[in-house]
Amino acid sequence: MTDSSDISTDRRTSTPAKRIRTLGWLLRRIGGGVFVLWMVATVIFFALRLIPGDPIDAILGGPGSQASAEAVEKIRLDYGLDQNLIVQYFLAMAKLAVADFGTSYALKIPVAPYVLTQLWSTLVLTIAALLVAWIFALGLTLATSGRGRLARAVGSGLELVAAAVPHFWLASLLIIVLSNTLHWLPPISVAGPLGLVLPVLTLALPLTGFLGQVMRESLINAYEQPFVLSARARGESEWGVRLRHVLRHAALPGISLSGWAFGSLLSGAVVVETIFARPGLGRTLLSAVSIRDIPVVTAVALLSALTFILMTIATDVVDRIVDPRLTKVSEQ
Amino acid sequence: MSARRLLLFPLTFLASASLLSGCATAVEPATDPVAGGTLVYATGDAEPGCLDPHVGGNYPQALISAQYLESLVSKNSDGEIIPWLATEWSESDDGLSWEFTLRDDVAFTDGTAFDAEAVKVNIEHVKNPETASSTGYLAVGKIDDIEIVEPHLVRFTLSAPDSALLESLSQPWVGIQSPTALEREQAVNCESPVGTGPFVITDWVKQQSITLERNEEYNSAPADAQGSGAALLDSIEWRFIPDAATRYAALQSGDVDVIDNAQPNNISSASNDPAIDELDAPRPGAANRIELNSGKAPFDDVRVREAFIRSVDVNPGIDSLFFGTAQRSYSVLSSIEPAGISLPDEFTTDADAASALLDEAGWDTLDADGYRTKDGERLSLTFPVSTNQSIPAEQSLFEQIQASAKNVGIEIVLQPTDLSSWYGALFTNEYNLVSAPYTKVGADVLRILYHSDSIIPAPSGYYANLAQLSDPELDRILTEASETTDQTERQALYEQAQSIIIDGFYVLPLYDQQNHYLYSTSVEGFRAFPTVSTPTFYDAWLKD
Repeated sequence: MTDSSDISTDRRTSTPAKRIRTLGWLLRRIGGGVFVLWMVATVIFFALRLIPGDPIDAILGGPGSQASAEAVEKIRLDYGLDQNLIVQYFLAMAKLAVADFGTSYALKIPVAPYVLTQLWSTLVLTIAALLVAWIFALGLTLATSGRGRLARAVGSGLELVAAAVPHFWLASLLIIVLSNTLHWLPPISVAGPLGLVLPVLTLALPLTGFLGQVMRESLINAYEQPFVLSARARGESEWGVRLRHVLRHAALPGISLSGWAFGSLLSGAVVVETIFARPGLGRTLLSAVSIRDIPVVTAVALLSALTFILMTIATDVVDRIVDPRLTKVSEQ
Repeated sequence: MSARRLLLFPLTFLASASLLSGCATAVEPATDPVAGGTLVYATGDAEPGCLDPHVGGNYPQALISAQYLESLVSKNSDGEIIPWLATEWSESDDGLSWEFTLRDDVAFTDGTAFDAEAVKVNIEHVKNPETASSTGYLAVGKIDDIEIVEPHLVRFTLSAPDSALLESLSQPWVGIQSPTALEREQAVNCESPVGTGPFVITDWVKQQSITLERNEEYNSAPADAQGSGAALLDSIEWRFIPDAATRYAALQSGDVDVIDNAQPNNISSASNDPAIDELDAPRPGAANRIELNSGKAPFDDVRVREAFIRSVDVNPGIDSLFFGTAQRSYSVLSSIEPAGISLPDEFTTDADAASALLDEAGWDTLDADGYRTKDGERLSLTFPVSTNQSIPAEQSLFEQIQASAKNVGIEIVLQPTDLSSWYGALFTNEYNLVSAPYTKVGADVLRILYHSDSIIPAPSGYYANLAQLSDPELDRILTEASETTDQTERQALYEQAQSIIIDGFYVLPLYDQQNHYLYSTSVEGFRAFPTVSTPTFYDAWLKD
């Protein structure tokens, strides 16, 4: 940190020039996002054709199909799989450019509406997990990063363990303890909020560990800043110092990390949705990859990338709001 | 009181009477079948892409379509073909013409009448390239022409005699659908196929569940069912729960009533749980077995094949890894196939004999890692393993096989892969060992798996003869068996065929294709069809 002023007392002033600069910054981010999406589509396109297995099998009812020669030939023509790979690539990109995701090989239904129905379920899961992780991490760091050595040790110990636990293991543990032994919660996702508890906890706990670790470090840094001393000198209570002065500093790396965290939640969703039998993008992706349902894989990958990009832009925006020093630096 | 309740009443009355006469105090009260309620079924099989099993045709489709589609014939637990939508049938003397008399009082759930026209439309639908049928296409492969003789009499003309025709037609992949519904676009029919079965599809939430509701007009139960009218359950919630541990936890917690693909450790712990029962319904067709690819070195040498079989002792592994839930098989065929023969004496293990055979075959030098070599090349066997098909216990068994083969200097390279990559390895002949399940009703599966015609790849690259067994004598026997109308002769031919396959050391049988259901003791009347062992909930009901 180069500037150690207490940002909680800083106030922003908005000028037209500043707004244009902010708009330019936003446009650059969006342009970068579109480029990333194109790269994702390209990598997916070639990767799915490099791995063994014929997409025709997906169309013909799964690997090991013994359909007739006529059926195979018809599908090759219908889906344009008889053409040169480069031609196929440009045709596919042209379609994606106008948001035409095509028809699922296995389900024979349009991909876009199908994947969108799965998106909602994953968004609920990942956003809930992100919120819960934030609440846990903030609670844990604020409660344990005071002066007490023992409290700090317990807090950072918990964070370390939580951050190191793999999703599949945690999921099984939660099912055994909370579902099979205590009978508090259903082991599978059911209608209503109750079915959401275990999947959200599974995703949130490791993330709590990560967020907690980075927040703790900047929290401890902030404690050593002069503005904390002066706040204390003014007679501010311990919790007053924590909540009104130190919290923002602690939250900053957490916010920056949330974009990345969201990406890791999306990949964690593959495991969690499969274990808890929840519909969603992760499970859709897993089954689509295993049968080489290329249009579905492409759509899910692009949608995940898009969500990730939007989330990163959002965290950058929030970062600039919470920490006005960032805008100041870009002005200099 | 419906006809089926009338039928059940005396039975339950007798049962409770006999219990009461035994001991009046210690017996739990016998309950009458209760109509109503929703049964939750959790499947570990993949979610089907299309609910019309004519399209493609895999086991997940068979599992669910058995609830809403019915076939012309079925099979009872004694292995006999029994009437279903067809009441009787006859075969011409030359075996080239079959006539089926159909029920004249059955309607599809969309109101369309079931008749000879419907059968014709269905067989043509399966054969149509636009349908892209695989399993059903093989089943009706020899049917050349379908003729409507009378409104409820249909005649099939075959290209060659087919002794397996009835068995093929009993499979869910050729279930009969409403011709009106089949006229719809394929994507629509895939979402909501219409049959004559006891349940009707009403909703499908992708990656989650399918809802089936009772067909109130149902009247076409197969001859071996208990009841005759509509089913007892109001509805079935068909959930997709891919993780085996979660599936079992959900059964324990009471969130689901029946699970399939139960794993050995769960079956074992369920045996101590008074609230859970087990139904073991091995799949028909071939037993789970390791095929030895005789189409290329080193297994083109019968001595090396025999040495491999002599060197690996699979019994201790099966006992420990499967917790006693799987029986060792010494047959190419499933134990539920009446034509199957078991030859345990052919599979004795003897490391010394294996070593002697390998020495004789020229694999008589050892390299630095202790593996045998010949002309500087290591005796190394590639074994692609499909992690979708081989359960964890089976994968561990393969590792034990790998370890015991090492003792005689054979290297086994296990390659765990996903299903598509696994087929990729098979289609490019990059394997020496492989375990590939094959489900089909009847011993004709031997012709599909071991006739040399099956080495020729299908247009999609698939071929079933993974042992690459090419023996003109075996071909002749299998063809003759598929064309003979005499059951005794057919049986004798299939026994000869199995002897040739086993004596030539082309396969190492492991156990039946495992198919265990676990269910809550509150479920009564649940069974599996003896055809391809899919569950049927027609007679099922829920106790309070």
